[in-house]
Amino acid sequence: MGGLQKKKFERGAATNYITRNSARKKLQLSLPDFRRLCILKGVYPHEPKHKKKVNKGSTAPRTFYLLKDIRFLLHEPVVHKFREYKIFVRKLKRAYGKTEWSAVERLKENKPTYKLDHIVKERYPTFIDALRDIDDALCMCFLFSTFARTGKCHVQTIQLCRRLTVEWMNYVITSRALRKVFLSIKGIYYQAEVMGQLITWLVPYQFSHDHPTDVDYRVMATFTELYTTLLGFINFKLYHSLNLVYPPKMDIKAESELKEEFEEDYAMNSESYTEKLSALSGSLARVVSTEEEEEAKLDQFPAEGEDVEKMEAREKEQKQLEAQKKLFDGLKIFLNREVPRESLAFIIRCFGGQVSWDKSVSIGSTFDVTDETITHQIVDRPNFDKQYINRYYVQPQWVYDCVNAKILLPVEDYFLGVTLPPHLSPFVEEKEGDYVPPEKLRIMALQRGEKPAQEQEEEDDEEEEEDEEEEEGGDDEVDEEEKAEEKNLKKMEEQKSQGKSLQVKVTPGKVRAENPARLEQEEKAEEKRLAIMMMKKKEKYLYDKIMFGKKRKVREANKLAAKRKAHDDAEKTKKKKARK
Amino acid sequence: MASSRRLRRMAASQPGFLTLKPSSDPTDLVGGRRKRVNKNKKKNWNKFSDITDVEEFLEDVRHQERTTGGLLSEKSDDGLFFVDLGQADKAEQKAEPDEGKKRKGKSTRPLRIDLILQGDSCIPPPKDVLAYQKPNAKKLRRIAQKAEQLAAKGVVPRAQKKLLNRRLADRTVKKAVTEANNNPNRDYYDMWAQESKSPADPWYVLQTGKEQVKRPEKLNQKPSALPAVEVIAPGGSYNPDFLSHQALLQEAHEVEVKKKKQEDKLEKQLAVNREDKATAETALREEVEGLIEDEEDEETSPNKEDEEASGAAITVTEKKTERQRKKEKAEKRKEQQQLSVKRQTVQQQQLFQLRSIKAAIKQQEQQTKKRWSKRKEKQEAQKAQPRRLGKLKFQAPDLEVQLRDELAGSLRQLKPEGSILKDRFKSLQKRNLIEPRERAKFRRKLKVKYVEKRAFKEIT
Repeated sequence: MGGLQKKKFERGAATNYITRNSARKKLQLSLPDFRRLCILKGVYPHEPKHKKKVNKGSTAPRTFYLLKDIRFLLHEPVVHKFREYKIFVRKLKRAYGKTEWSAVERLKENKPTYKLDHIVKERYPTFIDALRDIDDALCMCFLFSTFARTGKCHVQTIQLCRRLTVEWMNYVITSRALRKVFLSIKGIYYQAEVMGQLITWLVPYQFSHDHPTDVDYRVMATFTELYTTLLGFINFKLYHSLNLVYPPKMDIKAESELKEEFEEDYAMNSESYTEKLSALSGSLARVVSTEEEEEAKLDQFPAEGEDVEKMEAREKEQKQLEAQKKLFDGLKIFLNREVPRESLAFIIRCFGGQVSWDKSVSIGSTFDVTDETITHQIVDRPNFDKQYINRYYVQPQWVYDCVNAKILLPVEDYFLGVTLPPHLSPFVEEKEGDYVPPEKLRIMALQRGEKPAQEQEEEDDEEEEEDEEEEEGGDDEVDEEEKAEEKNLKKMEEQKSQGKSLQVKVTPGKVRAENPARLEQEEKAEEKRLAIMMMKKKEKYLYDKIMFGKKRKVREANKLAAKRKAHDDAEKTKKKKARK
Repeated sequence: MASSRRLRRMAASQPGFLTLKPSSDPTDLVGGRRKRVNKNKKKNWNKFSDITDVEEFLEDVRHQERTTGGLLSEKSDDGLFFVDLGQADKAEQKAEPDEGKKRKGKSTRPLRIDLILQGDSCIPPPKDVLAYQKPNAKKLRRIAQKAEQLAAKGVVPRAQKKLLNRRLADRTVKKAVTEANNNPNRDYYDMWAQESKSPADPWYVLQTGKEQVKRPEKLNQKPSALPAVEVIAPGGSYNPDFLSHQALLQEAHEVEVKKKKQEDKLEKQLAVNREDKATAETALREEVEGLIEDEEDEETSPNKEDEEASGAAITVTEKKTERQRKKEKAEKRKEQQQLSVKRQTVQQQQLFQLRSIKAAIKQQEQQTKKRWSKRKEKQEAQKAQPRRLGKLKFQAPDLEVQLRDELAGSLRQLKPEGSILKDRFKSLQKRNLIEPRERAKFRRKLKVKYVEKRAFKEIT
């Protein structure tokens, strides 16, 4: 038994990991620089499976990185820039200390900068990769663009973020990609479908900032640095996919529509164009000036069996989507000054509506309050003095709910001063057997095109219950008929046995009305029953379990519904009492 | 010496030579004693031959040439003299400037400084010889011819090549100076236009001046399965549905209860035990500790020790006899035999138990399978969990909740809850992109020293 004794921690897991500090030393960077580099390159700490093996026998919690990742970082050209920057800072400090202002000036002119283009390309080799990871970028840019320009971070960064978000919103408007909106207590969630990818982002309400102290601004700024680069390139590509001019330009027609009376009050000449763009009220210029191309129709493929159903479903979905995209087409909506202008303008324009506001609110308004062709006015105050007859005065929630319901909801529930129906989250998707709140049921009924009366609601509930009963009772009815016949036969037999001569009579046979739909249903039910019977024991067990789970869900949903009913009743009685 | 004197005499005696300097007197030439020196040495020629008179003469010639442009003796009389006609000329000159002195005088007369700087030598400048003949002209011509020939062939000389190369390098350096990354007016371009995955991607080289290193595969995996943006529960709507709002409140309540429980537990552990508290009795006992002798105790305790000691002494083991040993051995053997027999029978019996054994094995297998699947499930669930990446554990942020009476009736009155910045930050931590950290505490490097100042002292 010869050979050298194997030393500990020189093979296996211990060699795959490196602690943060040694990685930092290997790269010759300070901790903030190292952290920045890791964020930019997408190198994240890793928790080893066996801490003790990696940490030389100690179980103390430390931050580990994979050694391969750090080796990869060694080749990054940005590292040199970091070092250059360090030296630049040192020189600058020295010049300041010696009050050599000319040297300060010269140094500042030659401040080392770096680009992240190659990192973006390296992390996202294809466009779709980048698009999948855009959620974070959007959230961060929208967040930073709302920051006050007071020095929490660079003013330039804030400006860049604002520019990129405006570009993004303009793209979403032009491509009509928005799908869902949700007003939460945190902020506004939007969901858009861009090139087949669902993209969700969160936008803060305006002026809602208190700067929390337990957030590392440097880290957030680093993320934003990367994300602004990423978002810019994505915007470029997206604009070109729609044949739009990239640094976005307003359509000539749209530009001429904008009123230019009080422009100087809002922005300096240099900024007025970007401000107008960010008003979101004008459409964008295209490279090839083709007006609204015809939407390509879905190709029809001959299909059989189940595929037909799928195709139909898909077609239906497509139709619905088309309808949703044109939701506000032809509507002229005026925003009062107390409503969140940007969010509403964005949404209304996303679905093809025309929108304007008072010219003293913001730049870029297209028509006045006095315009007779206005169809809706968004108002968020208890009462309103001067009202026009030919327009609806609705609360802002109407717009959001319409978008989520994919139809124009009846305006009566959203009139001025009316207690609003709850704003439901469009991000919840109920499965079969889950509890569905009655408001949603009502919207679903409206979507199906049923009558939009309020009384319908209760009827709906009742109907549904009846439906359930019917389903159960369907079989019973058939049985009853059979039973009646049997009874008849029995009677006859009894009479026969008693020796009485039977009254032989030929009664005309009834024509049984055969309901083909019912027959089919029965057949299906029978098939199912047989299939269940044919199951193996194991499968049967599983099946029973699943069914039990479903039933339990239904039970829970019923319970919730009952609770809700009780709550509603209580509310009603309260109201009645209040009225009295 | 004699020759020089002769030369001088010769110059002076030249017909028509005029000297400018009056000092050069012919009588001065003969005077002083001659010094005798050896003349067979060249050194002495230089040292002792007097050439001042020749030099003076030559100097005088040069002076005349410089000032008058030639030897005075060769000039005509008209060039040297003029007829003095009195002062009429001057009076005229003075009378004239009265009118146009200020204008004309300044414009016509050159500045004095120019006059001073003007060369006053009358000798024309010497001709540039190099303008007529070039040194090494032949050689240069030959070189030029050769270069022409090479150029015709298309061969670039080495020096020029070097220069060209250097210019290329300069260009790349200039490109590296870029605008700031957060410049709000920066340009973007189509990055994903051409798909090329070779490491020597020209685009990458242009951007960085370096070749690309292959990115480790593992870096493309996301560290967590969680989505980037987690949408708040439906109860978090600004105008929520009753039941979903209740559900959210319930959730928040449970979190709070959990926290409270932990706090309570900690408090319980830290609480002072009631029995440990000092009462009057225990205090008194403590005070008189050792003062009162417990006689009874002292008496009883030695006795006990004695008894124990005696007990230990009694139980001394006796030696076994031979017989006893034999008996024990036999018993041991017998026991072993019995055991082996039993084992055999059990083995034989197992043949009949085959079915039950099979069942047992099957059960065991099933159990392992179940455990395996459970473990897999757990691992899947772990993927969505925040990992331990540093000293601190991830702490989930507080749920954003508004109570029933805090909810605003309309969008206008809505008070946003929580901070999105914090939400994003926590989300990054939750997805294992950054490790949870605490803000570094301020630590004073230098010690603070308090000194009483005189002024302060006087007041107090």
